[in-house]
Amino acid sequence: MKGTNLGEFEELVLLIVLILQEEAYVLKIKDEVYSQIKRSVAMGALHSTLSRLEKKGFLESEMMGATQERGGRRKRIYQLTGTGKAILKEAKEQRQMLWNQVPDYALKIVYV
Amino acid sequence: MSEPNLQPPRSSLLLVRWLCRHDLAEEIEGNLIEYYQQTRDRSTRFAAIRYWFQVINYLRPSTLKRFKSSKVKPMFIFNPLFTIRSLFKQGSSTLINILGFSLGLVCVLFLYFHIKSELSYDSFHTDKDKIYRALRIANPEEGTELVGVTSGPFAPALQNDFPNSISSTCRAIPSDALVSFEDKSFIEENILMADSNFFSFFSFPLLSGTADQVLSGVNDVVLHKDLAKKYFGDQDPIGKIIQIDNELEFIVKGIMDDFPAKSHMDFNMVGNINLLNLEGWWNNGLITYVKIETPEEADYVNGQLEQFMDKYFGEDFAANDFRLGLMLESLSGMYFHSDISFDRIRHGDLNSIYILGAVGLAILLIACFNYVNLSIAQSFRRAREIAVRKVLGGDKLRITLQLMGESLTILLFSSAIAVGLSMLLHPVFNNYFQLDVSLNWSDPALLMFGGALLFTTLLVAGLYPALLISSFNPVKVLKGGKSSSGKNVLVRKLLVVSQFLIAIFMISATLLISRQMQFVQTKDLGFDREAVMTLDINNSAIRNNIESFKDAFADEPDILSISAVGGEPSGFHDITLIELPGNPENQRINIGWGDEDYFETFGINIIVGRSFSQNLESDLGNTAVINRKAMEMLGFTTESVLEQRVLMTSWDLDLRVIGVTENYHFSTLKEQMEPLIIVHGLRYRKLAIKMNAANLVAAMEAIDDKWEQFSPEYPMQYEFLDESVAQQYENEVKQSKVFTAFSAISIFLACMGVFGLATYTARQKQKELGIRKVLGATARQIIGLLSREVILLIGLASLIAIPVAWYFIDQWLNDFAYQISIMAHWPLFLASGLAVALVAFLTIGLKTYRAAVSNPTESIRYE
Repeated sequence: MKGTNLGEFEELVLLIVLILQEEAYVLKIKDEVYSQIKRSVAMGALHSTLSRLEKKGFLESEMMGATQERGGRRKRIYQLTGTGKAILKEAKEQRQMLWNQVPDYALKIVYV
Repeated sequence: MSEPNLQPPRSSLLLVRWLCRHDLAEEIEGNLIEYYQQTRDRSTRFAAIRYWFQVINYLRPSTLKRFKSSKVKPMFIFNPLFTIRSLFKQGSSTLINILGFSLGLVCVLFLYFHIKSELSYDSFHTDKDKIYRALRIANPEEGTELVGVTSGPFAPALQNDFPNSISSTCRAIPSDALVSFEDKSFIEENILMADSNFFSFFSFPLLSGTADQVLSGVNDVVLHKDLAKKYFGDQDPIGKIIQIDNELEFIVKGIMDDFPAKSHMDFNMVGNINLLNLEGWWNNGLITYVKIETPEEADYVNGQLEQFMDKYFGEDFAANDFRLGLMLESLSGMYFHSDISFDRIRHGDLNSIYILGAVGLAILLIACFNYVNLSIAQSFRRAREIAVRKVLGGDKLRITLQLMGESLTILLFSSAIAVGLSMLLHPVFNNYFQLDVSLNWSDPALLMFGGALLFTTLLVAGLYPALLISSFNPVKVLKGGKSSSGKNVLVRKLLVVSQFLIAIFMISATLLISRQMQFVQTKDLGFDREAVMTLDINNSAIRNNIESFKDAFADEPDILSISAVGGEPSGFHDITLIELPGNPENQRINIGWGDEDYFETFGINIIVGRSFSQNLESDLGNTAVINRKAMEMLGFTTESVLEQRVLMTSWDLDLRVIGVTENYHFSTLKEQMEPLIIVHGLRYRKLAIKMNAANLVAAMEAIDDKWEQFSPEYPMQYEFLDESVAQQYENEVKQSKVFTAFSAISIFLACMGVFGLATYTARQKQKELGIRKVLGATARQIIGLLSREVILLIGLASLIAIPVAWYFIDQWLNDFAYQISIMAHWPLFLASGLAVALVAFLTIGLKTYRAAVSNPTESIRYE
């Protein structure tokens, strides 16, 4: 499969799915993305990201939990697969490794 | 918690259900409903818009249904291979279709270019919406006879009186002159003398020179590039000096490029108008243009013009007891507004354009109907193919698309052929219709027009058969039953009727119009137009020596008579007012000028009195011959008329009537014969020469020789009288040609339609025919049976077409004061119906003959 790499937004979505656990369905994820990192994203856009991640094998989903405010419709709850968790961890470690090599002074913001 | 009943708009959920994948619909709907509740709770601004944004955003490739996918899909999507295969399989009808569409499209293309160029007259001027022309109104009280020419003082006076409205003015006057440069000299007929701001007032393109400078000097002149080439070859024309009429010298200051579109003024040389005498309010002859910024201002000025005329003409009006009005006409209206006297600009005929447009549309319609008819006729052949496809899982939509694809392929093919054909036929077309149409393929509007045309044609021609064929019931078809319903037959009959209707209309219009043209061209006009040549008196060498020029022909056997004239029959006649001594009441009369040979040269009969006499000096400028109408108008009889005196104050003439002619058609047959007076006088513009018809070549050589002797510097400008007479009906001749050509095409196309219908009927009734033959019917009876239907349809079409054609031709003939009677030509209508019936009958006979003579065992063997 082409590109098992994680995009920046994909990584965020995976993390938020992890955070939300049982409540990880499109609308909640959208709200969470907005409240945590102030990014407004349409449900449709989110849907395509989620199904892409599902196709890559990082997520799996299940229909459950019909409520009244959803007009009796079930929701699709996402959760991470093993590969998903592994790749997320790997991404974090890679980053950490890179961060560790950044000298302190390089990060100093100099206002000239 | 919100009320649970609060639901988002139903339409949004339906949209999702309809467009989104089945397995996703529930989740998406749920999310949308919940989102809707949420935003309602927070009562955010633009909640509805935000909600719909979310809905629309859900419609993306990952959520939408796969409309194309199907388990056996590749066979049933639009497949070009199938298209080509089926088009080849139906070879003859494909060919007929392509031919029909190509013909129709060629017509439409030509007409498009022609109409486009007619409508784009003067469209290239930057200020085209601000330019107006001043027209005088000859009789403001009783009517609106408009006069196109004004005099010099109008422009400065208008500018002076309306400084806030009129931003600039420009005057122009068409003229002709002998132009020479070194050893080259030609008569240039399209010279314009104009104010120095001409090139900045209008937007005629300049290749060299600046718009506000090129005409600044009195002797400056601007040439069109072709004209410059004619005189100077490849030399730089700027600064060259040319002679005008061997008197004046002009300096070339600028060169004009080709105009981007046609213009109501036709000129290839512009000089400065200040060379001419522009004094005098009555010295009319030029065109006054004004520029006004807004239409409201123009309305205002128009309203003030009566006072304007009173201010400058008040005394003259009071003295002569009549008045003149003035009005402004916009540039956009000029080209088609042809009902103006003394008009010196080019005009188009709006009626011709309407007729051409309608004819083009009719041809295209016939081609479309043909396609519909032929495809339906073919449909029984395809019924099985369609049924098998359906059984294998092809759905209706896909089959419809496939069939539309076939139509589109045929259309695209035809368009390509049409483009090729129109390029090929372009010169023929221009020549035959005497038009000057250029095919401008780079025009962006053409692309839009072409696209729209293709699309509409596709809809009109392709949709119905596609829907019909794709809705065949596969079970019935495969069982071998009939595949069409009665309704389809009705639709097809209607189509055939309308085709015949158009064909019959075109044919009867053609017949009657050509009959009228024949009438016009052969009618005895009361004068002799054969073998008469008119020469323009275009230089002083001839003008001052008319008598000796005439005498020079005395012993030429082939020159029968020569007359100096001002206003030859069929040519231009002034209109003036005439009154009787002691009676101030005046009447309008046409006036012409002629010498003693006038009536002999034109073969006009004098019924009372005599012609002018050369020997009586007293005749010159004092005597006149009038026609019978004039005699009746003035209240004389053949006994009392001779030696009566009549006065024409505007020409300062006091005339004695010495003769009366029979009425003759000195103007066109479109007008009634009017009162006319021919004055023995000196205002000659042309020489009319009656030649020996049996020996024209010798006669013309003689004329050429003598002209060379008298006026070696000026080229001879001549016309033949019969051609000038024919020229008067140029528009009508064009229309008659249009009808002839297009009625041929329309009947050709209509017959293709009949062919299709006959094929279909013969096929449908194959079994019936077989049984009839077994029971003893003859081939002739069978052909009769098959054609009866078509003959009925033609009868019905005639019933509608003939009254419509009758009405149309009646309107068309109204332009002529002298016309053929439609009543007397009723057999022509019948004949056009019969002609169509005959051609249709032959077409059917061709097709049904085979069905009629075929062996009945062939057709009833299978059940």
